[in-house]
Amino acid sequence: MAKKYEISNNIRKLRFFANEMTQQELAEKAAVSRQTIIAIEASKYSPSLELAFRIADVFGVEIGAVFECEVKGE
Amino acid sequence: MSYQEKKVVTSIVTGVLVLAAYCIYVFSRYQSGVVAPGDLKFWALTILIFIGIGVVASIVIQIVFHILLSISIAIKKKMQDEKCDDKEIEKEVEAEMIEDEMDKLIELKSLRPAFLIAGIGFIAALVSLVLKYSPAVMLNILFISFYIGSLFEGFAQLYYYRRGLKNG
Repeated sequence: MAKKYEISNNIRKLRFFANEMTQQELAEKAAVSRQTIIAIEASKYSPSLELAFRIADVFGVEIGAVFECEVKGE
Repeated sequence: MSYQEKKVVTSIVTGVLVLAAYCIYVFSRYQSGVVAPGDLKFWALTILIFIGIGVVASIVIQIVFHILLSISIAIKKKMQDEKCDDKEIEKEVEAEMIEDEMDKLIELKSLRPAFLIAGIGFIAALVSLVLKYSPAVMLNILFISFYIGSLFEGFAQLYYYRRGLKNG
């Protein structure tokens, strides 16, 4: 059976440390809608690799600091 | 409710209204005995007219929806900050109405139930011919199933906006 990957993120924490950046500000900087940021933050949407890099770039961190992957069972 | 959800709800309401109008019109004409089931020219013309009405109605309603939404955003922004200028309001409206990768993905994924229903309708239309129903029945099944398919596309979009799209 294929491994299951659970992707989580630290966007809320990163926004807090980025001077309490709002979801709207992050959305504008990453060129997406606020709805998409809300969905990513709530782990309801897995962004494309390009968008993941864009979000990491907004915070000035590596992509691994924004998104984490947990392997669940085999 | 987000801009995208409101847009989808608007198009669903438009679709329901046009479909209801079609059903009421056709049913009343059929009940009055003016139209024979075998009068294919009438059915083809009526369906063509209602396709046109559907396209025009959805364009007009989307334009009105966007105007009203822009006005409501502008009012909200003015109430929050009285000194804000037109450029700031314009920026806010653009930010609200942005379409990104999630919207495109949801749009694509929502096509599946639409095609499924349209496909089932097509098969049902063929079956109706095999069972020797009038060709008018076949035409109506085709038209209505395509329309219901497009309505389901909207419902699927709403579902994906609410539930989210995990792992693409």
